[in-house]
Amino acid sequence: MTSLYVHVPFCPTICPYCDFHAVRRTRGAVAAYLERLEAEARALAPARTPLRTLYYGGGTPSYLREDELVRLLSLGLPLEAGAEVTLEANPGTLNRSRLALLRSLGVNRLSIGVQSFQDPVLRGLGRAHRARGAYRAIEEALDAGFRVSIDLILGLPGQDPERDLKEAVRLGVGHVSAYTLIVEPGTPFALAGLRENPDREARAFALAEAILGEAGLVRYEVANFARPGEEARHNQVYWRMGFWAGLGPSAASHEPAGAPGLYAVRRTRPPLHRWLAGEPPAEEPIPPREHVREALMMGLRTREGVDVAGLEAATGLKLWERLRPAAERLAEAGLLEVGKGRLVPTAGGLDLVHSLVLPLWEALS
Amino acid sequence: MTDRERIRNFSIIAHVDHGKSTLADRILEATRAVSEREMREQYLDQLELERERGITIKAAAVRLNYRAKDGVTYVLNLIDTPGHVDFHYEVSRALAAVEGVLLVVDASQGIEAQTIANFFLALEHDHAIIPVVNKIDLPSARPEEVALEIEETFGIPASEAIFASGKTGEGVDAILEAIVHRIPPPQGDPEAPLKALIFDSVYDKYQGVVPYLRVFEGTVRPGDAIRIWSTGKTFEVTRVGVFRPGGIEATEGLSAGEVGWLMAGIREIGDAQVGDTITHAHRPTDAPYPGFKPAKPVVFAGLFPVDSQEYNRLRDALEKLKLNDAALVFEPESSDALGFGFRVGFLGLLHAEIVQERLEREFGLELIATAPSVVYRVRTVDGEEVEIHNPSELPDPTRIAEVLEPYVRLSVFTPEAYVGPIMQLLQERRGRMINMLYHGKRVELVYEVPFAEILYDFHDRLKSISRGYASMDYEQIGYRPGDLVKVDILVHGQRVDALAFIAHREKAYRIARQVVDKLAEVIPRQLFPVAVQAAIGSKIIARATVKALRKDVLAKCYGGDVTRKKKLLERQKEGKKRLKAIGQVEVPQEAFLAVLRAGRED
Repeated sequence: MTSLYVHVPFCPTICPYCDFHAVRRTRGAVAAYLERLEAEARALAPARTPLRTLYYGGGTPSYLREDELVRLLSLGLPLEAGAEVTLEANPGTLNRSRLALLRSLGVNRLSIGVQSFQDPVLRGLGRAHRARGAYRAIEEALDAGFRVSIDLILGLPGQDPERDLKEAVRLGVGHVSAYTLIVEPGTPFALAGLRENPDREARAFALAEAILGEAGLVRYEVANFARPGEEARHNQVYWRMGFWAGLGPSAASHEPAGAPGLYAVRRTRPPLHRWLAGEPPAEEPIPPREHVREALMMGLRTREGVDVAGLEAATGLKLWERLRPAAERLAEAGLLEVGKGRLVPTAGGLDLVHSLVLPLWEALS
Repeated sequence: MTDRERIRNFSIIAHVDHGKSTLADRILEATRAVSEREMREQYLDQLELERERGITIKAAAVRLNYRAKDGVTYVLNLIDTPGHVDFHYEVSRALAAVEGVLLVVDASQGIEAQTIANFFLALEHDHAIIPVVNKIDLPSARPEEVALEIEETFGIPASEAIFASGKTGEGVDAILEAIVHRIPPPQGDPEAPLKALIFDSVYDKYQGVVPYLRVFEGTVRPGDAIRIWSTGKTFEVTRVGVFRPGGIEATEGLSAGEVGWLMAGIREIGDAQVGDTITHAHRPTDAPYPGFKPAKPVVFAGLFPVDSQEYNRLRDALEKLKLNDAALVFEPESSDALGFGFRVGFLGLLHAEIVQERLEREFGLELIATAPSVVYRVRTVDGEEVEIHNPSELPDPTRIAEVLEPYVRLSVFTPEAYVGPIMQLLQERRGRMINMLYHGKRVELVYEVPFAEILYDFHDRLKSISRGYASMDYEQIGYRPGDLVKVDILVHGQRVDALAFIAHREKAYRIARQVVDKLAEVIPRQLFPVAVQAAIGSKIIARATVKALRKDVLAKCYGGDVTRKKKLLERQKEGKKRLKAIGQVEVPQEAFLAVLRAGRED
């Protein structure tokens, strides 16, 4: 495996829409976390091939103190030359000296949780930062030589999406992750009665394609736009349903199975306190057929689509003949291109991934 | 066998919600038929559904011993009657089995439509009628006024009314004494040829169909050969007995005047239909108990399994229900849209709902029901007359000489203030006024109206325009010609047989408009725009469009989200299983009830 995800669960505040695994830091928690993480990394290290992509996600990894960041980013895992090392960061946790520190520790890509450049919207989201902080963080990160991606939430009540998108372009970031707010059951937003608005979201996404596209940022995945060459290589491993390792609480890995009749195994680690107590990950065996379903679900999110011929070779299953009738119907509807051994969603298809996946799943069952 | 002089057979009749079942419970309690420990709310309503809906669906009987103030112990047979207008005939048969009734009237509501209908049924049988003003514990109770209302309406002196409360038990002793002294003991000669009326039946896995009987003449004993009058079939009686709270008790025989049951290995419900007569095979009575009508469904709907693999299970389930329900009829039906299922006949909408609910609950079936429709008759140009159970079967207009639709005689009981709006409603429903009677401050409106016009939403509308005060009752009165047309529904250019409906020509446009709008609302967006059209013959009379789907969820999805995302999609896939594909369009179950809904929104 040449990709690794490290989960850092700590956040300064818990956003009211978040249902990821995030906790506030309590005395001693980060130290205990780092200790266990280092042990996990040591157990992993001897067998490791050098990593091509390494991703620190959260939580808010940048929220750690400098000495903690040093430990987090010095796990002793070998990196390939030109490896992509990404860290998720909040605008408020970045300044020139910390950026320099991160750079010196090998981080070369930052994914900054901006969400919006409009203060009322940020307040509504319960974010700790304001627009000014976001501008400064992005400018300083670009100055420091990082590849910068920003997260934007589109289709929010009271938001002018056009302004947010144009600000992203003006700042010159090479990558934008744009997504709609999902009101997950049980989150404070859901409890406050906030509802998604599909029509507003669809309009906002149409704007994103137009404005970012104009600036040369291509929609290469449902929720991601990049200048060619600036794509998130780590995330592409997920969308191609490749293999990756995971470290840290609630991190999921996708590893070769090493057992007959199985394609892969997914190991999902427990949340922080159980992980600290040494509880092993939950294992989910992935048979070849299940892998194909997952590969369709993930691959159809991207403009490169799904390499069905490659899947046939990897799993030994006959897929193309079974998928083709359904694929051709989707092609007639203008959602899919059926190439030689490949299924590639059209621009319109990217908005309707569920409608692509379900009939193809159906064709396999 | 009991001394006839000490038997009292009675029923309780009431408008729905006037507290019949609670009062019955108090009577059971007072006669210590059921100990307080065993006492359960509404003892006689035994089906789970009956208790949930608070209405009696099947008749039930119970035998009580009551030691009266004169020191004599009497045998009281209480026959409970179904409480809904759909079961008019069943009520009349239960009343045929008794000599007297308690006419229960709510002390605040006063007389309602069913009170009147039930009163006249009892009167036809020349029964002793004991008026009971119930629920006198309520703050809004006005018992004296209601007693006077009863006197004015029915001519029963107000002094004869008993004030009671099923809740507190007040008046129950007086009711029991009145049953003993005002209701005559049954007549009949125990030595005469056997004549027994079936007033209900149940199905037992081991014993087969067990008819509930009222013996009018003669005596029936185990070992007797009996004959069912209408079918002529003979059976040998294995056991007879009476009803006890919580069960049955075998006896040596049942003779004239008694109420009980018998077992004779009867396998088919058709051999023990409500209203039929049982006599001896070798010494038959000369005439049956009059008034037998084989159960005849008046409303038909298609029932289809959501999963076509479940067809056989649905058939088995319907057969099982039919063992206990002679009114239920069904025949296989195939629909282009819904596949294989059954066209099922019911006594009314309530009956239809109950059957569907039992199929889903007791048999775990998932069903798609089409909108219920009345039975039309068509006279063809060749002079043939055919019954139409399914609107899509209506022949081509060129072959039709005349379409006939069923009419009912509807009686609406309302405070004076709402007469105007109710008459207007009935006008809209093509009703014709037959009579208008004043009962104190309340008015009874009698109309003849097409059954189809009151089938779906009439009762709800009546309740809403009268703020809940008006009540209704109806009975079928036969067929009359009407200017009726079939409206076809097309989804994405394809005619959907299961959505076709029959309507009066003048109303067809408005209903068609509502149906297509409702369909456009419930059909989920597809990848392409979908036209929903209504047509009479080849002429499109209404149209609506379901816009194409533009986006589904635009959430981010990374490595840790695979499992969660997969579950979300699995759920969507399950949801889709509940959709039926019509051509390329996926339609949810509720779409097939659009016709029904459309009526509800005028």
